[in-house]
Amino acid sequence: MSATGKGEASSVREHAAPEGFWRGCVFSVDHKTIGKQYLSLSLFMMVVGGLTAYLIRWQLAWPETAVPGMRWVPEPTMFEGVVPPEFYNALVTMHGTIMLFFVAMPFLLGAFGNFLIPLMVGAADMAFPRVNRLSFWTLFTASSLLLASFFVPGGAPAAGWTGYAPLSADAQYSGVDWGMNLWLLALALEFASFVMGGVNILTTAINMRAPGMTFFRLPLLVWMHLTAAVLFLLSVGPLVAGAVMLLLDRTIGTGFFVPARGGDPLLWQHLFWFFGHPEVYVILLPGFGIILEILPVFARKPIFGYRAIVYSTIAAGALSFIVWAHHMFVSGIDARLAMPFSVTTILISVPFVIMILAMIATLRGGAASYPTPMLFAVGALATFILGGVTGIFLGSAAVDIFLHDTYFVVAHFHYTLFPSVFLGGLAGLYYWFPKMFGRMMNETLGKIHFWITIVAFNCVFLPLFAAGMRGHMRRIYDPYQYEFLKPLQPIHAFATVAAIVLFLGQVPLIANFFWSLFAGRRAGENPWRANTLEWATSSPPPHGNFVEAPVVHRDPYEYSVPGAVEDWLPQHVPAGGTQETRRE
Amino acid sequence: MQKWFPENVSTFGGDIDSVFTLIYYIVGFWFLLTEGVLLYFVLRYRKRAGQPAKYVRGDRWSELAWLLVPAAIVLALDVGIEAAGGPVWARVKEQSPAGGVEVWVTGKQFNWDITYPGPDGHFETADDLTLLNEMHVPVGQNVHLVLRSKDVIHSFFLPHLRLKQDVLPGRSVTAWFNATKPGQYEIACAELCGFGHYNMRGVLTVHTTEDYGRWVQEHWPATTEASGATPAGS
Amino acid sequence: MSEPERLRTAAMDTALRPVIPNAVLGMLFFLGAEVMFFAGLISAFLVLRASVETWPPVDQPRLPVVAAAVNTFVLLLSAETMRRARAAIGRGRPDGLRRWLAVTTVLAVTFLVVQGMQWIRLLRDGLGATSGAYGATFYTLTGAHALHVLAGVGVLSAVLWQALRGRCSGEHHAAVEACGLYWFFVAGIWPLLYGLVYLS
Repeated sequence: MSATGKGEASSVREHAAPEGFWRGCVFSVDHKTIGKQYLSLSLFMMVVGGLTAYLIRWQLAWPETAVPGMRWVPEPTMFEGVVPPEFYNALVTMHGTIMLFFVAMPFLLGAFGNFLIPLMVGAADMAFPRVNRLSFWTLFTASSLLLASFFVPGGAPAAGWTGYAPLSADAQYSGVDWGMNLWLLALALEFASFVMGGVNILTTAINMRAPGMTFFRLPLLVWMHLTAAVLFLLSVGPLVAGAVMLLLDRTIGTGFFVPARGGDPLLWQHLFWFFGHPEVYVILLPGFGIILEILPVFARKPIFGYRAIVYSTIAAGALSFIVWAHHMFVSGIDARLAMPFSVTTILISVPFVIMILAMIATLRGGAASYPTPMLFAVGALATFILGGVTGIFLGSAAVDIFLHDTYFVVAHFHYTLFPSVFLGGLAGLYYWFPKMFGRMMNETLGKIHFWITIVAFNCVFLPLFAAGMRGHMRRIYDPYQYEFLKPLQPIHAFATVAAIVLFLGQVPLIANFFWSLFAGRRAGENPWRANTLEWATSSPPPHGNFVEAPVVHRDPYEYSVPGAVEDWLPQHVPAGGTQETRRE
Repeated sequence: MQKWFPENVSTFGGDIDSVFTLIYYIVGFWFLLTEGVLLYFVLRYRKRAGQPAKYVRGDRWSELAWLLVPAAIVLALDVGIEAAGGPVWARVKEQSPAGGVEVWVTGKQFNWDITYPGPDGHFETADDLTLLNEMHVPVGQNVHLVLRSKDVIHSFFLPHLRLKQDVLPGRSVTAWFNATKPGQYEIACAELCGFGHYNMRGVLTVHTTEDYGRWVQEHWPATTEASGATPAGS
Repeated sequence: MSEPERLRTAAMDTALRPVIPNAVLGMLFFLGAEVMFFAGLISAFLVLRASVETWPPVDQPRLPVVAAAVNTFVLLLSAETMRRARAAIGRGRPDGLRRWLAVTTVLAVTFLVVQGMQWIRLLRDGLGATSGAYGATFYTLTGAHALHVLAGVGVLSAVLWQALRGRCSGEHHAAVEACGLYWFFVAGIWPLLYGLVYLS
């Protein structure tokens, strides 16, 4: 039985006629094309999300001054380049919503998940190629609806990405009407898109593995995506239910979350965070997956503790379902509920300690080189560690009394999300660009991009821990109303300058990306001398992925095996082959 | 590091700050250790001619010990952190010490209604007084708060008292504090509540016992000069 | 385990043959998400109900418990006919498949029509979605379920269409299996909703 289960020797279509725009692009059911479309969408939304951050940061550093380059925004959204309080709240809402749902998930799951998983398991495509196609257009529609909210009367949603009721449930409180409805619709479609994706990933990885690809020979990236898919499918339902109820509250006047109409605002929070916490691991784990693929390749040795990592991932995933109320310690829930959730939250540190130490241990005894993908991977690991340890402060209910809804939280989640999504995602981009586009990216530009990005990022967010310890509240349009926050203006100014450097530092990436697409050095099948199956076919792979369906003979990280001729042993090369034992 | 926090003038503030400090040293140690080891491995184990990488899979128990022993230590430290934090949480949020004054706080878009019961000690009577954004309490006495919201969720935040509690429409939540030092301390809203969220600034004035008596006299001139002159209440 | 032990030839490996067809496996995962969706609605119902003193509220119209019980029977009957449809094609009988699929579809549409009539009557009697938690939860829970039944009618029709075109056989009927699973879910969750909404 071949990889396609159809009894064909090859899954590559015989007549690879050139496809036009409609069949090859808009209606393409090839997971690689769809993955690249997710990549384009996520990178575009990243620019939009970055723009919102620029406006937010400028306002925090120099309140009520004109933001350079933004005078063209018409009133009443902005006033001659100045951000008003209403738009500020819309900006923080859109920043969070865009970055989590329309950048992180499409970038890590839609782009890399889609592109890599069929290749890595040795399949010709996803289990449901047409559902895959539909999932992208669903997300595209969702993105359009969300961006449209900037242009409707009342403007973009402004109740935070968390959308707490009753602020979000009644237009009279927020001043936003259609914007909030669009937000809910956009989220619902985004969830539908990723439910489709999750079903596809799980079915593909379980049912369509090549012969010899047992579960414990799967690349760890696949394990991460499988866990993420399970987490997402099991957690998103309650929030979809909540979104339906919130939409009904807003449109026909039901009272699910509005006390005046018999509702309970805390109900929204429970439904939201029951999803919200597993969701951050849905984003985090695929980011880790990229790091886990890159470290062994460039250290030239196996990943340390493959099974320990798998079991820790599953444990962390399971635990993620029983921690959600750590977002609600001071929300008005029964105070006796706090300590149980505090305990479960802090326990999650244990599987993560195992995963982080396993990644670090992989480097020990290695023969490592540091081209751009490896720089980003190790940089992501180093940066994430600070994000991880600062979570302990917030997990302690007592300390959270003070730190809740301060910049300490903002710094913590940027130190976890940015390394996994951005640094991890960029590591993946530099690493798999040759496979996706058949060309190498420029190393010099890559290194410049890396150093600017990582230094600038730390300059933006490290000071924000201090701001949080000072008691600086979140989502505050003008902190200097408060005497106790006035001394923080230099910190905000510093962070804003660093943020601008961070944005400008992405220019080398953009230049590199487009230049390499057309003029990069041609990449062969396996420029990094890696073992996993995506490197066992051409760059880029043809429709159907493998000219000859691969058969798997070994684990994915067999690097520097004693006695072998080469320091890498691809999964698909038969035992006793030339790579292993032939002496020249 | 302590200097980053706002000055603590709360009886339980020191407890909260102590748990923070405990966590700070524990995670600080782990942070420096792991980053140090990572940096060392990056610098030490680079590609060198004639020095291939070691084929170590980390699936033997002797190798896994490097993951499991630190994890066990972290688990023990986690338990310690929770053991330290649990009683502090209980003291602040579950217990309510007897005696002192009571004040009602109603958050609304975009200010705080602070209501005092007056000398009769009962709320919703004729001698109640509501001030906008101004809370007056005596030093060294328990202050019991009943917190509500008129519209959306706000969050009553006293940074110098290390107190934060969300206020909800449709129900009331209680909180308490005891200020150790007279002075003026800011009140902030810590939950996004609309376009005026940033502007919900109030002031808590902690009076000396004498000053508090004078403040009470000012606002309820008919009060008799009872010693302490604090409005009855619990 | 040493390296040589780990290297096995393809001949010694069992080729990995899917135990459960793609369509069925995919449907199972999808239904997992659906279960959680209804869990969210049900927990909202329970939370809101717990905060109301008397339930059902005295001033609201009574729900048609008996009529809904009959409708429940209709839906459960459709689950049985769906089972027969599956069994028929499993025995290689496409004619049985077509017959029982058609009956299932008719029963499903009947359920929807009766449900719709109940809604109209209740709306006329003054129970609206905006008349407090009682109405809001009633319409949201039964409405969400009804939408799933409606989608199910679409799925049943699509599979029936496939069956009419002769695309289902004793060996290849994954679509029927997947459809069956969906239908069992939709029919199976209804008694729970009925118990919570109509009987509490």
